[in-house]
Amino acid sequence: MTTVRERNESAWLLPNDGSRTNHRLRADMRRFADSDTVDLVVVGCGAGGSTLLQRLARHGWRVVGLDAGPFWDPDADWVSDEAGSHHLYWTEPRVISGADPVPMGSNNSGRGVGGSMVHYAGYTPRFHPSDFATRTNDGVGADWPIGYQDLRPYYEDIEQELPVAGEDWPWGDPHGYPQRPHPVGGNGEIFLRGAYAAGITAKVGPVAISNGRFGNRPHCVYRGFCLQGCKVNAKASPLITHIPDALAHGAEIRANAMITGIGFDERTGRATGVHYIRGGVPRFQRAAAVAVAGYSIETPRLLLNSASRRFPDGLCNDFDQVGRYLMVQGAPQTAGRFDAEVRMYKSPPPEVSTEEFYETDPAQPYKRGFSIQTVSPLPITWAEHVAAQGHWGARLRRYMSDYVHWSCLGALCEFLAQPGNRVTLAEEKDRYGLPVASFSYSQCDNDKRLMRAAQGVMERILRAAGADEVITIDRYAHLVGGARMAADERHGVVDRDCRSFAVPNLYITDGSVLPTQGSANPALTIMAVSARAAAHLAAGGR
Amino acid sequence: MSGRTGGPRGTGSAGAAPRISHATGDRFPGFDVLAQSGHWDAVTAGVVLSRVGRPPDIRFFTPAEEAAATALCDRLLGQDDGEPKVEVVPSIDARLAEQQTDGWRYADMPQDGQAWRDTLRFLDSDSRDACSRDFALAPADDQRAVIQAVQDLGAKDWHGLNAAHVWSLWTRYACTAFYAHPSAWNEIGFPGPAYPRGYKNPGVNAREPFEVADAAPADDPVDGKDR
Ligand SMILES: Cc1cc2nc3c(=O)[nH]c(=O)nc-3n(C[C@H](O)[C@H](O)[C@H](O)COP(=O)(O)OP(=O)(O)OC[C@H]3O[C@@H](n4cnc5c(N)ncnc54)[C@H](O)[C@@H]3O)c2cc1C
Ligand code: SF4
Repeated sequence: MTTVRERNESAWLLPNDGSRTNHRLRADMRRFADSDTVDLVVVGCGAGGSTLLQRLARHGWRVVGLDAGPFWDPDADWVSDEAGSHHLYWTEPRVISGADPVPMGSNNSGRGVGGSMVHYAGYTPRFHPSDFATRTNDGVGADWPIGYQDLRPYYEDIEQELPVAGEDWPWGDPHGYPQRPHPVGGNGEIFLRGAYAAGITAKVGPVAISNGRFGNRPHCVYRGFCLQGCKVNAKASPLITHIPDALAHGAEIRANAMITGIGFDERTGRATGVHYIRGGVPRFQRAAAVAVAGYSIETPRLLLNSASRRFPDGLCNDFDQVGRYLMVQGAPQTAGRFDAEVRMYKSPPPEVSTEEFYETDPAQPYKRGFSIQTVSPLPITWAEHVAAQGHWGARLRRYMSDYVHWSCLGALCEFLAQPGNRVTLAEEKDRYGLPVASFSYSQCDNDKRLMRAAQGVMERILRAAGADEVITIDRYAHLVGGARMAADERHGVVDRDCRSFAVPNLYITDGSVLPTQGSANPALTIMAVSARAAAHLAAGGR
Repeated sequence: MSGRTGGPRGTGSAGAAPRISHATGDRFPGFDVLAQSGHWDAVTAGVVLSRVGRPPDIRFFTPAEEAAATALCDRLLGQDDGEPKVEVVPSIDARLAEQQTDGWRYADMPQDGQAWRDTLRFLDSDSRDACSRDFALAPADDQRAVIQAVQDLGAKDWHGLNAAHVWSLWTRYACTAFYAHPSAWNEIGFPGPAYPRGYKNPGVNAREPFEVADAAPADDPVDGKDR
């Protein structure tokens, strides 16, 4: 067994003087020319892209990762403030439609090195073994071409690299975590108390927030701004967990580079590199292989925007699979009011969860299930919750002045994959002249039933903890799918190793490839899937 | 770097944020977020303190739109008692001028800037129908009635738009601007920025030395004490 540091030295490559960025490492970074045919170019340096870069750089590959957004410096670029963190989100225009359109906003994907994990909450649960065969077991969703056991070693590796803190986990495949659980704040305390009184098992964790020093990363200071980017370097994101090690092993990160198309050679049928715009200048990076990891909206959009003679409807879209089977999790948020002061803004929003309702319960009129977690919104997000009750004017202000008395839980309901939930191209163009993504969503009956069932359990927990009023807002979280992995090209875009069926040197290594989503937050699984694809590439899949 | 030296009127103050809490009563007496600003990192302080300074000039709205938007936002946010209040329209205007949207729009809505212009015009037209005056010049009660009528439509049509999507646009922009302001934080007992200091006393009924207890903990909005 190798130690984490021997596999991934990122945490030790960060400064230990109270600043957060190793500027020397970035200044000394290896740089490739556009005309160099690198071994692999990666589109997007988020959860999936960064993991792939780090793994293959370690294997001696010549790799470049391009990202549309900045190469963040937490000291200079991030603030301990909600409204001031708007620049972390992907705010290029997107159009939403369908019977149940999914608004994004601050719940939007990220932009910049580190991807959406820069402002994700930090929950890192594994999927359950059942998630990989819901079609066979429950008659819904889809079966993956891989099983839980295929991902398990990668889960273990990534959990050590982030690292993850939490109690021993009794659900799914029972397992422990490398770090002990964090102490909980007011919201976590309420959840634990209410769950206990209601006879529901709840556990502290699992969160990718270091409990204690990890390398040169300091301990969390419990300031509650995880969704605004962690200025402390306590919460894991690829910016600090995988990119430093990738740089130290010769990878180049080219930030502020918007990929506009994937190069394709009609004669060989292979990808040739990527077209991108940097500083207003159109350029082309040559590469022997291309991996797309731009998030579940931008990845399908880029494929659709990369049409050619061979692929008139978009790259890899021979069977009209690109952009389909997109999934969000239904994420109703239920808050309870206590005469005591909860002050849920103190401590990270991710604290406590239960997966007791994760699996199909034959006694219920729905398949699959949901998990419940603390969410702890800050004032602007809380105002959205209160305003959704219809309050405005003096009444809104009165409700809001009561902020310190509220505890807030969120559910993640496993919405089912449906072909009509998809990304297509809109008429509207972005500032590069590219059609923007149009994203349509409609819920099925099972989805709707799960939302109400989850709300019922959250109300039960909060009431059991002593809440005298509960209020709920319907929200959505965690987009995955859109270029799913499947057994064959008629049912998906990539194979079990994330290689596209249509173009042999084109890979997709982000959340887009997930065929189902369980009711777990997806980032850990995305990283594990990407690490597994990297192992396949390193072993000769090049 | 400990926050423990800073009581409610503690060290490192950047001047107090104006108290606006006529509507809610002063639930956190003496609590002043800015008293702690000496403990904030410089980048955050720059961003937050700019909100208590002079508001940016209006660049996007026409004067008529500015007037309607101000009346709309003041009613939505219950800023009914005159000064001091949080000026939200300049920051909404700045976002629209810079196209700093939320990165999405409903397919049946125009882009945010145009949607604001259109809906402010519709408010004027509804107000003229109701009381023969532009929305901004109507008495506050009439303004509230016009707004309430839009909310009451739910997802039905309002001047060709889905009223629920209009409501979402207005409340999102207004609440984001308002609850980004230190005066609003004073009113709800939220201390704002917390880096590098962090919190030492999380937990139910646990407070930092600079946090102030709610003076009316049983003032539960559900008890029907309001309205
Ligand atoms: C508010 C919020 C909270 C969340 N909380 C959690 C949580 O607690 N736990 C969890 O597991 N997950 C959470 N998530 C979800 C999680 O962050 C994402 O699922 C995950 O990061 C997605 O990984 P990805 O690799 O697919 O894409 P990302 O991590 O989003 O990376 C995509 C990258 O690609 C870049 N890119 C896209 N298109 C282009 C292009 N054309 N050219 C160049 N670059 C491009 C983007 O700039 C971005 O950096 C949360 C998400 C949000 C928004
Ligand atoms: S609460 Fe902890 S993990 Fe979250 S942002 Fe603050 S220091 Fe980072």
